[in-house]
Amino acid sequence: MRFGAGLWCLQSTASCPRHPAVPYAEYLADARLLERLGYDALWLSEHHFFYDGYCPSTIAAAAGALAATERLTVATGMSLASMRDPERTAAECAELDRRYPGRFELGLGLGYRDVEFDGVGVPRKERAERRRTMLRATRRGAPGVPVWLGSALPEAVARAGAHGHGVLFSGANPLTLVRDLATAHREGWESSGRTGERPRVAALRNVWVTDDRAEREAVMAWFRASYVLYAGLGWAVPKRGETAAMDFTQEVDRALADAVSTAIVGSADEVAAGLREVAAVGVDELVFRVVVEGAPQAAVHEVLHRLAEEVLPHVADAEVVA
Amino acid sequence: MRLGLALPVGDEAAAAAAAEAAGCAAVLVEATGGAAVPAAAAAVVRTCLVRVAFPVRLGSDHPVTLAEDVAVLDNLSSGRIVAVVDTGDLGPEEAAEDLSVLLAALTPRPVRHDGSRWRVPAGLEGHRAPDRIEVTPKPVQVEVPVWIRGAAADALDPALPRLVADRGRVDPERRVQPAVAELAGTADALDADRDAVVAWADAGATHLLVRFPDPAEGLPLLGRFLAPEVAMPEFPRVIAEADPPPPWPGPARYVTPPQEARP
Repeated sequence: MRFGAGLWCLQSTASCPRHPAVPYAEYLADARLLERLGYDALWLSEHHFFYDGYCPSTIAAAAGALAATERLTVATGMSLASMRDPERTAAECAELDRRYPGRFELGLGLGYRDVEFDGVGVPRKERAERRRTMLRATRRGAPGVPVWLGSALPEAVARAGAHGHGVLFSGANPLTLVRDLATAHREGWESSGRTGERPRVAALRNVWVTDDRAEREAVMAWFRASYVLYAGLGWAVPKRGETAAMDFTQEVDRALADAVSTAIVGSADEVAAGLREVAAVGVDELVFRVVVEGAPQAAVHEVLHRLAEEVLPHVADAEVVA
Repeated sequence: MRLGLALPVGDEAAAAAAAEAAGCAAVLVEATGGAAVPAAAAAVVRTCLVRVAFPVRLGSDHPVTLAEDVAVLDNLSSGRIVAVVDTGDLGPEEAAEDLSVLLAALTPRPVRHDGSRWRVPAGLEGHRAPDRIEVTPKPVQVEVPVWIRGAAADALDPALPRLVADRGRVDPERRVQPAVAELAGTADALDADRDAVVAWADAGATHLLVRFPDPAEGLPLLGRFLAPEVAMPEFPRVIAEADPPPPWPGPARYVTPPQEARP
């Protein structure tokens, strides 16, 4: 089991206004702490043209955290594959892998906001083809860099497995969906007849360790607020099988409640029990969604400490990270 | 468009710190005369990220001396200074000459100037001095931003940004178009303030320095509502209208930026 944290988005939002340089400074300090506590990975996220400065260049941001640390893996979850030149991106990935061997991992997302495609003159309908081109270019130009894809659709996840790519699942997905997707990924990999190490399944989870009732209420409120942001971005999870659709654009209140209901918040014992449930559905890497907008950095650091020291030693199959 | 705070005269330090904590991009020192440099220094030392724009009144001193003030404040702030050059009482030609000496003194080249108002170095009789001087320290910034205002502004280098107070004077073609405007900064007047900042952004301003009757009341509204509104076209209403959760329990989020962000 690998443990990571994310997603660093480097925003300065309307609910927590701050100078745009502050999240960048905090990000580097966070990366150093993750490394010191023994976490495996830090995950970044990318969007373009959003009012809060949401990080538009995950590769540049990753390069910063890699330079600031010595062992930590820095992964993008996801870089938007349509928005960059494939050859230039492959060359950058190769350079990061040369400077920081084995420490950079590239997530390639399709993107979903029309304005992000339109802003750089890329037809949205080309996004799948462009991602295939990007995958070919990075595999050829930076063969040492693991590739992650993200989807909530079993057939797409199975294809990722069949191609040997890892998958990262949203923290808003209920565990039933995570289990179905992890199974699809494993079956895709096994049916491909590929050899070597099975690509990994990573799942974001809204996690917070606290014994304080007021803090528990606060973090739930801020988890909810974080999905208001995604409603603003226009993000949606399509309906699949027994898992209902989660359309932040249309049914904001219910979608927010559903997303927040997946959170694992409580004492160290409660969180360990919740994480064991997640591990049991076939997840190889837990990515703790602890970058909570309203939480002071000190509170985030406290949770990272407590997860590493009090929780992860008690998660099944977990290596002690602290 | 980015928002900043015009600092109340006499209360620069606290207001600048509050502006930085609210996410402002810049602060504007409004104190003039002998108060301008001390006010700018007070704003600088209580912040570590915001740009600090302060008035440099041409004619109030030798332009080389004014440049030294700018350079020292730029070093004090690790490169966050904007010089708001006011033409003061000077006529067009006088202002142009003083500005050219000021700008020359801010570059890392030795300065030599021979004009109707100034001769640099003066080459006075009895002095043993080279024919050029190096004005030091050099600013931290590669090029200190200079914004122009004042009665003789129109006579000066048109390439330099103009700090305007009248929306009709906004030039959307300029790469940098700073402006200063008074807003109510109260919850009751939020809609009017929102309309005002949108109007400045639509006109083509790039940086709006806002005067609030009470910054303590106005800054939270600026950070929560006004700055996001003009940070992207069609700012999503679901964010504009959402009720943010109450502040995190315990101590305030932070009163000064994190240590890592300090110069």
